[in-house]
Amino acid sequence: MSKQKQKLNPATNLVAGLVHKIDLIVASILIIGGAFMYYEATLFPAAPNILGDTLNADIFPKMLIVLMIILACIIPFEIRFMPEKIAKIDKDRSVSLEPITWKTIVLLITLVSVAEFLGPMVTMFVTAACFPLVWGEKNYVRIAIYSVAFPLFVYFVFNKLLGLFFDPGVLQYLVKPTN
Amino acid sequence: MEAILKGLGLLLEWQNILLIFGGVFIGVLVGALPGLSSPMAIALLMPFTISLDPVASIAMMAALYCAGTFGGSITAILINAPGAPPAVATAFDGYPMARNGEPGRALGLAAVASVFGGIFSLIIFIAATPLLAEIALSFGPVEYFGLSIFALSMLASMSGKSSIRNLIAGCIGVLISTVGVHLATGVERFDFGVSELTEGIHFVPVLIGLFAMSELLTQSSTLQDAVRVMSAKSLKLPTFAELKKLKNLILRSSGLGTFIGILPAEGSTVAAMMGYNEAKRWSKTPEKFGTGHDEGIVGPEAANNAAAGGAMVPTLALGIPGSGTTALILAALVMHGFRPGPYLITETPELVYAIFGAMLIANFAFLGIGLAGARFFSLVTFIPKRFLWPSVFIFSLIGSYAYSSAFFDVWVMLISGIVGFFMMRHGFSPAPLVMGLILGPLVEETFTQAMVIHDSSFFQFFESGVFLVFMALTVISLSSPFWPKIFKKKK
Repeated sequence: MSKQKQKLNPATNLVAGLVHKIDLIVASILIIGGAFMYYEATLFPAAPNILGDTLNADIFPKMLIVLMIILACIIPFEIRFMPEKIAKIDKDRSVSLEPITWKTIVLLITLVSVAEFLGPMVTMFVTAACFPLVWGEKNYVRIAIYSVAFPLFVYFVFNKLLGLFFDPGVLQYLVKPTN
Repeated sequence: MEAILKGLGLLLEWQNILLIFGGVFIGVLVGALPGLSSPMAIALLMPFTISLDPVASIAMMAALYCAGTFGGSITAILINAPGAPPAVATAFDGYPMARNGEPGRALGLAAVASVFGGIFSLIIFIAATPLLAEIALSFGPVEYFGLSIFALSMLASMSGKSSIRNLIAGCIGVLISTVGVHLATGVERFDFGVSELTEGIHFVPVLIGLFAMSELLTQSSTLQDAVRVMSAKSLKLPTFAELKKLKNLILRSSGLGTFIGILPAEGSTVAAMMGYNEAKRWSKTPEKFGTGHDEGIVGPEAANNAAAGGAMVPTLALGIPGSGTTALILAALVMHGFRPGPYLITETPELVYAIFGAMLIANFAFLGIGLAGARFFSLVTFIPKRFLWPSVFIFSLIGSYAYSSAFFDVWVMLISGIVGFFMMRHGFSPAPLVMGLILGPLVEETFTQAMVIHDSSFFQFFESGVFLVFMALTVISLSSPFWPKIFKKKK
């Protein structure tokens, strides 16, 4: 690799020979994913003969997947013909993800997992209380006010004003229906 | 004439005026808040507009789009933190001018240039849309297939980090659009035994995930970032003499911005950067650029707002989005049961005129709201991220749930957000994916129809002159990222 390219690319150790190591992994994921989708497309039943070959449901997705795989094959070599742009991408991704980002992903998955059981209303209260805590907010009074006021505001606007139905979720077990 | 009166009449109803002003307020607000953007706001608003009047909803989104472009400039000028990518170029001279003690003047110049740019592009919009639609009405499936391929090829030159990655993201978007029952044969595609997938992946949760959730994850690592705000108590509009001096620049930048906006897939960010560069190239005092020069604010501001109006032309006339945000407006049109493309203006002309009217009102409204509330909008950046982003998540959750009252869509939103976040880290932009998702059904439908008409012979497509033109344009657009290198070598 030339000195100029080394200067442009902050993560030169990511380049091995002709290819960019991380981009090779990215391309592999795309190619494997594409191959899997292509295999799935081969399993689509054929259209009745009267409709002809072109109307088969697999033709278009297969064309698209092949194009995507061809493009994915270029990705590891992009460093050779556009080093400045790849250097910019490397600058962003060379910083490893902070623990808070992983915690946020786990929190999001957890909240969505329990949302169906809790129902949108309770999920909003839980979100408003948990999110600032996980993100390091120490002012508990502020959290308490926010976790009550904001979900109520959303409920008022979307349920009362816009008529959006909120599934009761867990509330149906807590609030006894009145006859 | 009747359609014009009907369209503008719709806007005069007080609820619709209120919605447009609401759109402008939200637009300026999200534009001003770094991280939040007008595409994100439109994606979040979309499911909640289902119960509203369709014309008013689309008008509100169009107003939000206009205002969002200007909103980003407020924080770009006052705190050197462009609220939206199109405002990046404004910060080059806007922030130095504010630092030199003239924040009010910088805001005034930006607002007035934006209004002129916006109005210029709206004149082109209202003149060009019916003409373009009339031409497009003569297109058959082959020509439309060519046009949609050209639009997708423009993803290569779309602002982003890599043209190859933009194209891949576009392919993924089109591929996502193929999930569900194939209408021509009734075959279920890529449903993996999940019953919810047989009706396809709804685009609204995907859009919310890509624009809101992936940004939330990006913001999670910047919780400690501090901002320094500058007071903008003294707002100062440019004098008539100043405007007279800048009129050529405003006209040139507005024309440039409108042209870039009309090109499929190009957007306000490209327009703003080119507006800045061209302003500098034509300037008699280029050395002053970067130090708080009038022309450095006016050039990009007129161009980025003009691009917003320009981008509406292919969106409404051809059904081909002119930018990432107009792709969302196109999605909203589909959601409300409209038929984007040339039939829109023949079947529902009042909608096109209502959008025109809404954008016109928005241009004047953000001048007032933006200038009077500049201080307020600069202060909203002080909303702690620890409360702002959980609120965005709550809106995303409720928005994706509200679309079809199904928690499956909430999962789609979350998965799109997480996947989108990792894609962005590796240089894939969300906008091409969205454009692929929106254009996907059109590409497949026209391809199938064209193949049926031409007895499964793809080579017969080339008998159409229009198709040949679009293919030539496709080759040009696919090769465009390499032009700078080629020209550099020749020099």
